[in-house]
Amino acid sequence: MSRPIPLHELGDKEYIDPANQACQGCGGAIVSRLVSKALGEGFVRAEVACCGPAFMNIRAPSIYVEVFEGAGALMTGISRGLKRIGREDVVVMGIIGDGGTVDIGFQGLSAAAERNENILWVCYDNEAYMNTGGQKSGATTLYAATTTTPIGEYSRGKLERRKNVPLLMAMQGAPYVATASVAFPEDLLGKLIHAKGIKGFRYIHVSSPCPTGWGYDPKDTIKVARGMVQSGLWPLYEVSDGILRLNYKPRELKPVREVLKMQGRFRHLNDEEIDRIQREVDTFWRRLVAKDGGEIF
Amino acid sequence: MGRWEVMVGNKAIAYAAKLARVQFISAYPITPQTSVVEYLAEMVASGELDAEFVNVEGELTAQTAALGASAAGARAFTATSGPGLLYMHHPMHATSGGRFPVVMAVIHRSVKGMQPDHSDMMAQRDTGWIMLECENSQELLDTGIMAFKIAEDERVRLPTIFAGDGYILSYTAEPVEIPSQEDVDAFLPPYRSSYPLLPGLAEEARRVQMEQWGIGQDPQLRWRRQQEAMEAAKMVIMEVNEEFYKWFGRRYGNGLVEEYRCDDVEAFIVAMGTIASTARTAIDRLQAKGRRIGLVKLKSFRPFPSEEFRRLGAMVRAIGVIDRNISLGSGGITFQEIRSSLYDLEERPRILGFHAGLSGKEVRVGDIEMICEKTLRAAKGEGPPSLVEWI
Amino acid sequence: MIEVRFHGRGGQGAVTAVRILASALYLEGKYTQAIPMYGTERRGAPVVAFLRIGESRINERDLVHNPDIVVVLDPLLSRTVPVTEGLKEGGLIVMNFPKPGTEAGIGGRFMLATVDATGIALEALGRPITNTAMLGAFAKASGLVSLESLEKTLLEHWPGRLGEMNLRALRTAYERVTPPVDVSGIQAQEKRPREEIFSKDVSSWRIFKPQLDEDRCVGCRRCYIYCPEVAISMIQGKARVDYSSCKGCGICGEECPTGAISMVQEAL
Repeated sequence: MSRPIPLHELGDKEYIDPANQACQGCGGAIVSRLVSKALGEGFVRAEVACCGPAFMNIRAPSIYVEVFEGAGALMTGISRGLKRIGREDVVVMGIIGDGGTVDIGFQGLSAAAERNENILWVCYDNEAYMNTGGQKSGATTLYAATTTTPIGEYSRGKLERRKNVPLLMAMQGAPYVATASVAFPEDLLGKLIHAKGIKGFRYIHVSSPCPTGWGYDPKDTIKVARGMVQSGLWPLYEVSDGILRLNYKPRELKPVREVLKMQGRFRHLNDEEIDRIQREVDTFWRRLVAKDGGEIF
Repeated sequence: MGRWEVMVGNKAIAYAAKLARVQFISAYPITPQTSVVEYLAEMVASGELDAEFVNVEGELTAQTAALGASAAGARAFTATSGPGLLYMHHPMHATSGGRFPVVMAVIHRSVKGMQPDHSDMMAQRDTGWIMLECENSQELLDTGIMAFKIAEDERVRLPTIFAGDGYILSYTAEPVEIPSQEDVDAFLPPYRSSYPLLPGLAEEARRVQMEQWGIGQDPQLRWRRQQEAMEAAKMVIMEVNEEFYKWFGRRYGNGLVEEYRCDDVEAFIVAMGTIASTARTAIDRLQAKGRRIGLVKLKSFRPFPSEEFRRLGAMVRAIGVIDRNISLGSGGITFQEIRSSLYDLEERPRILGFHAGLSGKEVRVGDIEMICEKTLRAAKGEGPPSLVEWI
Repeated sequence: MIEVRFHGRGGQGAVTAVRILASALYLEGKYTQAIPMYGTERRGAPVVAFLRIGESRINERDLVHNPDIVVVLDPLLSRTVPVTEGLKEGGLIVMNFPKPGTEAGIGGRFMLATVDATGIALEALGRPITNTAMLGAFAKASGLVSLESLEKTLLEHWPGRLGEMNLRALRTAYERVTPPVDVSGIQAQEKRPREEIFSKDVSSWRIFKPQLDEDRCVGCRRCYIYCPEVAISMIQGKARVDYSSCKGCGICGEECPTGAISMVQEAL
């Protein structure tokens, strides 16, 4: 299991260039920086279509291919290729958006997990196709308004629950699976460093709010991300060799209403809808707590 | 001198990959390609071949993973057929765009039905891959080895397909000479990527990355560079063909086209792959009867040897082109490209187009004899000046 | 034919502005073409959009390279973007700038009209989205389109309260825009962007900038780790902002536990 890294333990060296072309307050940019900080020098990076080109100023050698669905395949190839040229020491990592992970890239992700490829998959999850202006993805939260699930007389936003890919990966038996949030950098850095030391398929799914798509002031990115964790909308946990551990366990969860109401995409929610989200969050949290410290299956 | 074995085309393909000492194989089964990856799996399982063998979950991944392995600096190989090749279409552009010398065997299967034609490869004709067509199992094995040398040449750096007809080659057994590993090692040295994706090469990797993205440059430049590499590949293919001959005593025309009994003819026909093989018999029969007609086998479909057809076209009065394909709404693909190649000639021969063998329709010696006769009539100025027929 | 180039930032509505203008001019019997500059520009990043105004169908499909008029939606943009590039001699610039045009750092054989569109937008909309205010300024300064046509188009685009608010911004700017002044005697201070692919000066993106009170900084590194731009470094236990890399998102100010960082409006 991972150990959180206190910020004062961090070195000053950066492995990413300052400034980028992402929106102000971009959560994905924070993920990108934290990943580069945790992994340092010995890694290469794969990239597919997402907002990444705007902010992944990571200095590590990178490969971008216009194969949106191909992240799992690409990283598989790189990892096996490096093994063949005698460079298994190099960590193969990809920072992949939620679309490239849970939707179009899911087949490749699941297959790479099945083969236990020696890769580190970091999903930065802004819960929609933000690079194309914010269309619904399989990671979009229930009832959220997106450009393809707009609010209208006959629509209340997204009608489906989000796909829980971290648990799916855990159920596939991946050696290391974790959720994380940009609001909890110590936790995320610890998980990245822990994952770096493991061989095989590693999956870290990071909640990275998007001010443009979620409809809040850019200064509130961390506040929103923190609220998601504190309310149980995005619990922090890790699954190491089938054992689940909750990394953040408040005595009491904050009501979801507070954090939902901070975001324009949930502005239309009525009490009934908020209650449904609250009930689902409560149920999921209760089940997670029951598994905490134990086997997930 | 190597040894002989009576083997099917798919096994010859597997031998090519093995002798080339591929380091990475991504495999996904599809009829009639399946036994290629089975042979390779057995070779890896028995220790005969030391390579990463990845059973992927689909052709899209097969192609993208091969791309990744090539980017990392490994010699990568994959193989597919028909619909599987169509499923690779999207990442194939990324492989050629990134200038990764992946080699792929295509065992033709029509995009309509299970039987062979060239519609699968022709659907990929603008993906920026070199495409070399084979007529028998020996040629598959030899071309497979040459494909790596062509693809990895610094002047080229383009992914390469070597192809043969499904069933007709894939499952037909015939004697094949297997070159010795020592000779192949000497002919084809290990792959060394100039731009491996490795830490410490960040600046160079980044430059290459920028070039791929077309950032900070004329956006058309990457297209132009690829076209220049295709042009350069013509020379490289001919060189490699000659070098192969020196090592192994076999060559395939000049590498781009092969002229069969074209001396002192008034017409020739053009065919690719197994149809070219059958056509040899038809030409033999007709020449025995005194007919002055030869065969030009088109081996390199991409890059397309326009100069060769201009040279050859100037020597005859009529050309009959057999297409195991069609660009629907337009016509036979090689027919059109050859016709376009002849445009600059001052005296152009007549040119006839024939569609044959689509969706595996059998092409018999007699069919080709008939095509030859029609072409000869055109050479004498009889019949319509241009003709397209379905055989 | 008259050609216009709009400069703005992703989120300020430059594209919407040219579309509204194109519709308003069409209402008046002109033929128009509103062109966004295609790309992956994010909110806050410099963007351009173009407008062509003609008497009959416009066939040109290339971009506008020598505009007759340039409209600048953001007062800081000219610090990093060469807004007068290619502008015809004697051409008109309509710029969002709260001070007299002679102080805007724009020079050359041009005419310059200014208006405090950010101030007007904050008043009318509560947000610094300056496109509709600049349309009002454009109408008055150029004389090419009537206020009535713009009002009509604008209300069709945003029926209801949002339309009313934007209408206020449009009208106020129409009234307050200065008459164009000759800036041929002014020394131009436009900056050219650095030709770099990754690191870019993003200072002109911001409206507010973080200001650090060193005495209150306890060196906890929260701002440092949360900065999406890696614009904050820790020097001898204190945070330091590299302003050329700061877009002014305000996360540092929001997350500072001791209140040592305050966001102050960028001085012009």
